[in-house]
Amino acid sequence: MNYIENTFVCLAAPLLVAVVCMKEKARREIFFLIIGMTSCLLSSYISTFVAAFQGADLLSASLEISPLVEEIMKFFPVMIYLLIFEPNARDAADCTIMTAIGFATFENVCFLMDNGASGLFILLIRGFSTGTAHVVCALFVAVGLYRLWDKEWLRAAGILALLAVSVTFHGIFNILVSQKGAVAVIGYIIPLVTIVLVTWVARHLFPASDDHSASAVL
Amino acid sequence: MIERLENLLQLVLLGICAGISLKRSLTTKKHTWAMLFLSAFVYFLGDLYWQFYMIFYGETPPYSFIPYLSWYASFLFLLMLIIGIEGGERRKRYHNAFLWLIPVFTLGAAAFYTSRGVGIIDAIISVSIFSALFYRCLGALISRFKEDSFKNSRMLYILILICLVCEYTSNITSCFWMGDTLLNPYFWSDTILSLSFLLLPAALKKAEEE
Repeated sequence: MNYIENTFVCLAAPLLVAVVCMKEKARREIFFLIIGMTSCLLSSYISTFVAAFQGADLLSASLEISPLVEEIMKFFPVMIYLLIFEPNARDAADCTIMTAIGFATFENVCFLMDNGASGLFILLIRGFSTGTAHVVCALFVAVGLYRLWDKEWLRAAGILALLAVSVTFHGIFNILVSQKGAVAVIGYIIPLVTIVLVTWVARHLFPASDDHSASAVL
Repeated sequence: MIERLENLLQLVLLGICAGISLKRSLTTKKHTWAMLFLSAFVYFLGDLYWQFYMIFYGETPPYSFIPYLSWYASFLFLLMLIIGIEGGERRKRYHNAFLWLIPVFTLGAAAFYTSRGVGIIDAIISVSIFSALFYRCLGALISRFKEDSFKNSRMLYILILICLVCEYTSNITSCFWMGDTLLNPYFWSDTILSLSFLLLPAALKKAEEE
């Protein structure tokens, strides 16, 4: 039995206290870290529900349903933040990435509870691949948030399309790491390579002098 | 075997299109090139997901949410590319009775897909994106075909229209699968779609000269 709700309460409690004590940017970032962890918790419920509703087996659920649900759940709070608070480019993109970090952290905690913490090498791979994959997927959306489209409605359509990019990337990653041997190794390396490439492309596309550019985020 | 080769060809051609458009978007810093890159790239990712699933699990993905989402997103990026070429004008109006056939066709195709097991949400997304793209392409081609100012953009619109028609042809012919043979029209329409993607960077370059 995996008591993920209890784990969530234990992890989120000190962060919630920190939200009360901190101010401005630090408070917002810690808040989105908690939001990311909450998204992870809710994703596990929703993925299970959708899989049961569709009659999917464990493999289909992890390869086809969970990437879609997880990416949408990660993006949903950021979308609400964008619509209600109309933040500037840098804040919005920072919050997207903090949500992804919170999500990846809580997912790793659940992994530790299921598999133990004895294998350092496996945990290193887990931390640097699966954790990074969530950040990479968030980065796709963050890059497009304010810089690619200057009109509001075009930005909305564009971000939905970028969400599709992150869902597909996540799906490919899940397929590769579900294999064994060289294929899995390639899968584990892909997020790190992608984060380097996305950073490089964003820095070339959007010069750092522009405060609204995505490179300001990277 | 033919299916694998055709899919591989499509991946290569989409990869070339994505590479060229990424290079152009880095040098020109124009949004239209970024849109073309994202369109080819997300279609490429959808194909890659489909291929990996087939290679590692020996069957097509049973639910197919992810590849279809990426293919729809690819056409959404093409729509944004066209809007960008037209100067960001959102509500462009074309007056031609022929354009009323677009919703008839897209809704008819969606009804056919749902009768073959495609979900309602899937059908709504496809009708919305494809109708808007058909309207923009056909509207511009019918109304502005003889205009001098449209001469350079003509090929871009024609190629996007070919991509759209091929996407529909591929989807419909895949419902009547004729096997792994060269006589299967699915392979031909999918190959034409890939070739159209390959030609899109050249067409966009010409359209930008206006």
